[in-house]
Amino acid sequence: MLSPHKMSSAIITGPNHVQEAVIRELHNLKILHIVEHSKNELADIGKPMESAARLSEILVKIRAMMASLGIKKDETKFELKRSLAETESTVKKLNEEAGMGIEELKELDEQLSKMRAMRQEIEALKEINVPLENFTQYRELSYFTGYIKNKKLPFLKQEIQRITDRFMLFDSIAKKKAFIALFIDAKHQEKAGEALQKAGFSTVNLSNISSLRGNAAANLKKTNDEIEKLQNKRKSLMKSQEKLAKEYKGFLIASDKFLSEQLEKAEAPLKFASTQSSFLIKGWIPDDQLSRSIERLNKASRNKIFVHFEPAKKHDKVPVKLKNPKLVKPFEFFMDLYSVPSYKEIDPTFFIFLTFPIFFGIMLGDVGYGAVSLALFWMLRRKMPKAKNFLNILILASFVTILFGIIFGEFFGKEFINPMISREHEMFTLLYLAIAIGIVHVNIGLVIGFINELKSHGLMHAIYAKASWIILEVGVAMLALTYFGKIAISPILGAAFLGAALLMLIKGEGFIAPIEVLGLLSNILSYARLMAIGLSSVILAVIINDSAKEFFHQGGFFVLIGILVLIIGHAINIMLGLLGSFLHSLRLHYVEFFSKFFHGGAKKYQPFGTME
Amino acid sequence: MAVEISTGLIALGSGLAIGLSAIAAAIAEKEIGAAAVGAMAEKEELFGKGLILTVIPETLVIFGLVVAILILNLAKGA
Repeated sequence: MLSPHKMSSAIITGPNHVQEAVIRELHNLKILHIVEHSKNELADIGKPMESAARLSEILVKIRAMMASLGIKKDETKFELKRSLAETESTVKKLNEEAGMGIEELKELDEQLSKMRAMRQEIEALKEINVPLENFTQYRELSYFTGYIKNKKLPFLKQEIQRITDRFMLFDSIAKKKAFIALFIDAKHQEKAGEALQKAGFSTVNLSNISSLRGNAAANLKKTNDEIEKLQNKRKSLMKSQEKLAKEYKGFLIASDKFLSEQLEKAEAPLKFASTQSSFLIKGWIPDDQLSRSIERLNKASRNKIFVHFEPAKKHDKVPVKLKNPKLVKPFEFFMDLYSVPSYKEIDPTFFIFLTFPIFFGIMLGDVGYGAVSLALFWMLRRKMPKAKNFLNILILASFVTILFGIIFGEFFGKEFINPMISREHEMFTLLYLAIAIGIVHVNIGLVIGFINELKSHGLMHAIYAKASWIILEVGVAMLALTYFGKIAISPILGAAFLGAALLMLIKGEGFIAPIEVLGLLSNILSYARLMAIGLSSVILAVIINDSAKEFFHQGGFFVLIGILVLIIGHAINIMLGLLGSFLHSLRLHYVEFFSKFFHGGAKKYQPFGTME
Repeated sequence: MAVEISTGLIALGSGLAIGLSAIAAAIAEKEIGAAAVGAMAEKEELFGKGLILTVIPETLVIFGLVVAILILNLAKGA
């Protein structure tokens, strides 16, 4: 709690012939966070094992097949014979079987899209009595086909007549636009084009049907038949592919996983430093696992390797593995979402654990809503094991919501017991309470910041940069209290505190720091949202209840509508409430709280062998 | 129900306080949100930071609400 696992840096070195054994053992141990070596004048990076190329070749095939057969990774159980040769031969066989289908499918799709394009063109020509073979290349004649608006047709005829009278214009008039085919002397092609443009002509290209002859209607029927035939063929092909996918799904997923693991091992030397006959691995191991790991590595390599280890030094970039008790652990999710705290600073997960559910509870604060969300997240947790951490947080927050629901005496917006504080009627009490919570929370942040600075930059800097804020708050509080006549001291004392704090700030954080004073004020005022979000949720609930009551009073059929209003209204309000409470509670931590102390930016501890 | 015009004006004032601050926050959030989604498309880990940056202007509405409530309180006093 509060600080991550202690880490030691480890350097493992040995002769090349034990490299594979060491890699295998490291992969089993899942303990070493490898720091990648970058090439320098002393040592190059290692070469991947010989099997790497073959492995990645099979993997590419497997993944391509999974993509084209539409197989998604899931938890399908499959007993894979973990032998490379056998996996390879099955993949090869499957690739031939499915590969043909895939090729054929691609070809069919191509034909289909060509046929559809043809159909479109024929359909346009359907009403025009010109045999299709007439639309070919001529030397003396050129033609235009396309659409213009109906009312432009007379205008177009006029324009063309002005150019020449050696032309033929076919048209078929539909609702708004007409399809026209204009044949004209090739000499006048350019002028005709201009006239058409003036009439707002849009060309239809007939390039797809140049091989067809005869009249359009017959061709249309033929094309339609063809398309149907192709579609049927495609359907049966799809079915057989689906069957194949079903049959081999387990095998493909399992072998993808197996081979990925093998490949990770085979490519591991790329992260090592290597010389002609030896290798060197740098990395980090948690202190409590150190002696056990070294023992097992020595055993695996028959004592042919040398392991050097030492605790982390001040400026090392240590990968961070957070350490928290089981109840607090889910809240590490919020750290992953934001930024992993650095090795030396205080891990704020525990503080989020303390305050996040409380903030959430104050904002949602309703026994009914809490119970609904509790049931919802409980159910979701069983359905979605991957989001377990996230849902555990919400389940805990739902419990606290019920607790605050009792304090506020609310059940679906109705006061069911005498409330300790009524959110609906005692707005100001709650507002002051929210601000007070804000002051406490921000100051906890400042204290954590003080400790962080103390550890990293020494006492004086910690006082200048962090304690000065607290002195500033004291000064402002004194000034305010004397102004309102609550305490009888000279205002000079308050001003002195304020001045001293400002000077310390300038020394600690530079000349820009005093501007942040306003920021502090807005940070604290920002906690007013604890009351504001809650208030809006209550008012909405009350409105829903009141409008449902109106329906109930009218009796008969309206009772049903009233029930519907209650269900839909509260469902929407719960959704809004959950989203708002979650985001705003999170934001109070990330923005108002973290800005007082948090640095973050560390790399997460990810030992070799746990990559997904 | 006859209401004095002064009460009506107070209600209007508090409505303006929250409405205008909400518009201001929306304008600010619109641009930040678009940029945050853009950044996330490049690098998915930025979700946390994007979320935070997007909700920062939300404070404006909270201030608006507090002011609105304070104004409404004037109406009670009057």
